[in-house]
Amino acid sequence: MKSLSIAIKDLQILFKDRGEVIQLFLLPLLFIIVFSGALGALGGDDEVERLTLPVVDLDGGEAAQSLLAGLDTAGGLRTELYEHANAQAQLEANDINRMLVIPADFTSGTEQGEQVELTLISHPNADLQETEAVRLVIAGVAGELSLESQILASLRQMGDMQANAPEEYQIFTTDRVLAQARSQFELSQTRPLIEVIETIPSKEGEREIVQSIGLVAVSGIAVLFVFGTAQVTARSIYDEKKVGSFRRLLAAPMSKSALLSGKMLPNIIVGLIQFIVIFAFGVFGLKWLGLNAPSLGNEPLSVVLVCFVICLCSTAFGIFIAALARTENQIGGIASLLVWGLGMIGGAFIPIAFLDQFLGPVVKVIPQYWANRALSSLMLRDLGLADVTTEIAALLGFTVLFFLIGLWRFDFD
Amino acid sequence: MPAILEVENLTKKYGDFEAVKGISFSVEEGEVFGLLGPNGAGKTQTISMLTGVIPPTSGSARIAGHDIKSDMNEVKKINGLVPQDLALYPTLSARANLNFFGRIYGLGGNELKERVEDVLRIVALTDRADQKIDEYSGGMKRRVNIAAGLVHQPQLLFLDEPTVGVDPQSRNHIFESVQRLNRERGMSVVYTSHYMEEVELLCNRVAIIDEGKIIAMDTVKNLIGILGGGMIYIGLEEVDDALLEQLTGLGGVKEAMLVPPPVAPPLAEGEDPEKETEPVTSNPIVKIVAENSQQAVVNVISFLNDQDRPLTSLEILEPNLESVFLHLTGKKLRE
Ligand SMILES: Nc1ncnc2c1ncn2[C@@H]1O[C@H](COP(=O)(O)OP(=O)(O)O)[C@@H](O)[C@H]1O
Ligand SMILES: [Mg+2]
Repeated sequence: MKSLSIAIKDLQILFKDRGEVIQLFLLPLLFIIVFSGALGALGGDDEVERLTLPVVDLDGGEAAQSLLAGLDTAGGLRTELYEHANAQAQLEANDINRMLVIPADFTSGTEQGEQVELTLISHPNADLQETEAVRLVIAGVAGELSLESQILASLRQMGDMQANAPEEYQIFTTDRVLAQARSQFELSQTRPLIEVIETIPSKEGEREIVQSIGLVAVSGIAVLFVFGTAQVTARSIYDEKKVGSFRRLLAAPMSKSALLSGKMLPNIIVGLIQFIVIFAFGVFGLKWLGLNAPSLGNEPLSVVLVCFVICLCSTAFGIFIAALARTENQIGGIASLLVWGLGMIGGAFIPIAFLDQFLGPVVKVIPQYWANRALSSLMLRDLGLADVTTEIAALLGFTVLFFLIGLWRFDFD
Repeated sequence: MPAILEVENLTKKYGDFEAVKGISFSVEEGEVFGLLGPNGAGKTQTISMLTGVIPPTSGSARIAGHDIKSDMNEVKKINGLVPQDLALYPTLSARANLNFFGRIYGLGGNELKERVEDVLRIVALTDRADQKIDEYSGGMKRRVNIAAGLVHQPQLLFLDEPTVGVDPQSRNHIFESVQRLNRERGMSVVYTSHYMEEVELLCNRVAIIDEGKIIAMDTVKNLIGILGGGMIYIGLEEVDDALLEQLTGLGGVKEAMLVPPPVAPPLAEGEDPEKETEPVTSNPIVKIVAENSQQAVVNVISFLNDQDRPLTSLEILEPNLESVFLHLTGKKLRE
């Protein structure tokens, strides 16, 4: 109850501070606009240009034909056939930005229900967002094709079984066929037969690029700024001490844990509001404006859970900073380093895959990295809660660590 | 009268430094008790220990029978604290501040509302209660600072230098409020200050505190009585024991003694100890405690005249707490 009074008082003070409100809630939106390329898009032509996609068809079979037809009718893309060597040379010279390779076993593979891979190779200078758009179109068409061929394959399977065992003719009722089709459909959703692999040749090894910058920016900026709120908590504690009101709180009949809870609660509340505001804009607002926007993924509730854990971690971080910093300058210094510096390295604007490659295991000591991994897994790769347990555990680990160090070093005098 | 506050041998140490060196005193119910001492004497440290802001290093205290170590939560409900700093939230209004400080004492609803209006009346700020603290004058801020310590109706109020940086009008207002709270509501008060006039005016009893120790404690009247009729300082070219004895024997003089020459200030860090320090005035000073200062002055001057000893300086001090402090410590309360 008394903790709540402290929290309400702190929120009152916070929302009276216009600069603080702008930094907490408006600045992240501005960043998102810049990084999702909305500024360029808003100023650009209304007419959508069709992108030319060079295709190397090593297969030439029936399935390859329907894939090409599908790509041309899907909108936004125009395929153009290239010789393999020619395409490779042009890509190396960056005369073309990217090319799609249909493997030689494409038709036979899909007919037999085997997994086949389409490879989208892009030049390192190619616009990431454009590549992402192309990939999405290919994945969409491939997905349909995949389903189609899977169902065909299973029907063929049943036909074979039927030929070998005519006495069991009656087993293959319409229900069986439908059930089989449904299970194939579900399979094609989780494990598509045709997989789209993205590669950038000049980079070391071949690597899957998960997302483009524009899409990463929404959750990345949310994480960056929610961790930024730790600075507000640290400063609020510092201010109470400087002004002397902290003495009054200590002299009031209230435990130290109630006092600290009261100082932490606003961080959690503000963090949640930040997530709501940033996602409302970055997920729904951008989409509504017709811009490239991430979704909340397949499990919005898991996103909510992860957001809550991130808010807890940010709060513990605030207590940690308050305990370590003795002066206002130290708070600013520690916060710039840990909140903004590490926050950027931890993936505010950079797809996780890049981070892993450039920074290696170092990023694993940055809490924001785990937060970004969890959110991009859920929101951009459509994974579920089971796939982000490591990330959640890491965040909770940081929370406990920060909190323990914070309590141990906290100066109540 | 039962004691509302009993302090026994309270100490506070920071490493080797002893900020409070075993302080003992007691305050009776309904009393206004003064802690008078210069800056750094240990007043705030003492109050902080008694209000649960910092833990004591050793010693004990009881407030209305509750031990401050084992029963601090009860003690906190009895205590009211007005810290030395303006411990208020500058961007909130006075009323919002008072509401908040009431809530953390568990008040709410109508009771809180009434309490806040009451304390606003006490400090005469009802009209401007919705203004931000930032926009108040120094004196008004001080008054809100006091009000914030009163919202939960404490039985024992600790006022830590409540008049620092205040205009005379607000200062008078604060005095009146303290006196009214004490007389009309029976509130016991511990009042710290380094202004002896305030303590003389407000307090029944006073502890004079210096360098973490209580060096004298009594009623204001008795403390001033130490000096009898005041003090006279005279500068002479030379002084010997025989002269001091002769001076002591004069009519109206209670005691005459040589003021110890000022100690050289401690060397700043890194300063060369061999370096020549500027000599301070070299003439010896004799301090005369008078039974009757007028009579003493006349007798001392005519005696020195007869002896043909020239005076190099003369200072007559009124009998007050300031001169008591000077008498006891050789230091001034304020620079
Ligand atoms: N946290 C602290 N650490 C070390 N010394 C302190 C601390 N707080 C106060 N002191 C020292 O204790 C002494 C008494 O301080 P204080 O009680 O504030 O004096 P007063 O209130 O009488 O002016 C001072 O010398 C001060 O420097
Ligand atoms: Mg003090």
